[in-house]
Amino acid sequence: MKKIKRVLGILFALGILVAAYIWFFVYNKPHRNFEKAKPDITMSARQCYHEFSQNKIHAGGKVLEIYGIPTSVKKSDSLVVVVFAFKKGMFGDNGIRCTMLADNQKKALALSTSDTAYIKGFCAGYNGSDVVLEDCSIIHKSKIK
Amino acid sequence: MKKLLITAFVLLFALPTYAQRYVTKNGYISFYSKAPLENIQADNNQVECALDSHSGFFVVKVLMRAFVFEKALMQEHFNEEYVESAKYPNALFTGKVQNLKDINFSKPGTYPAVIKGKLTIRGISKPVTAKGTFTVTKSSIKGNAKFPITLADYGITIPAPVGGKIAKTVTITVKVNLNPLK
Repeated sequence: MKKIKRVLGILFALGILVAAYIWFFVYNKPHRNFEKAKPDITMSARQCYHEFSQNKIHAGGKVLEIYGIPTSVKKSDSLVVVVFAFKKGMFGDNGIRCTMLADNQKKALALSTSDTAYIKGFCAGYNGSDVVLEDCSIIHKSKIK
Repeated sequence: MKKLLITAFVLLFALPTYAQRYVTKNGYISFYSKAPLENIQADNNQVECALDSHSGFFVVKVLMRAFVFEKALMQEHFNEEYVESAKYPNALFTGKVQNLKDINFSKPGTYPAVIKGKLTIRGISKPVTAKGTFTVTKSSIKGNAKFPITLADYGITIPAPVGGKIAKTVTITVKVNLNPLK
């Protein structure tokens, strides 16, 4: 009887541990930290836009690191977006739009068109006009010589 | 989907002048589902939208992977099982403002609007009517609308174990701040 009780106790404790694991690490697992993630693909912003717009690459859902000279940095409400524009389109300039993480917004606003910026983020895909990167961080910037 | 996007572009480009076209690339769309198991909300700030104030033609493009959920697991299920974002990366709405004569896009004010059109999700197009408002200011036009959609209409099936506990209809909220296309 004592042995059965002990086995039941162990099983109960194991059940609690499994339930806690599922609750914390599966059901409530945190969003991926893209600032710390290793990029799946690294390429120039121009090449990236070209490959997406020519349907040569399907990198939606991947972590991209792109580099190039930003055309502009736009601020609207709570968002700061670094834009690499390459073409005119129906919705304005087409290119790559990088929405910055909150703690990278200040760095992004300080970028100028004389900087080469290396930006990493989650690629939400191509919407027919733009390649959209989210949760972006500035890895590095260097002045054009 | 590609054909639909091209048709939308052609229709909009065929319109008279740039001066009548208002656009945004950071529009907001959310969907909200209230259900016994749990309420689900997702937000998307990467919405592209264009309005031609002369013809009333209205286009909204939504990247499905740009929806952000509170829970990472929900976001994974949404993309992989429900909307299949890898196969159908974009949703598209093309429509027309029905009561164009009641709206003066050059005079500041808030105007009720009715937009009828076609919403395409997962390659399935269904007619949609959205009621909302256009708020005209000196520099921009703010658009707000809310409308329900039924998931089954777009071939989105909820797995049997949770079927009864997740809402079959979700409310879509649209907020766009449109600026003149330069």
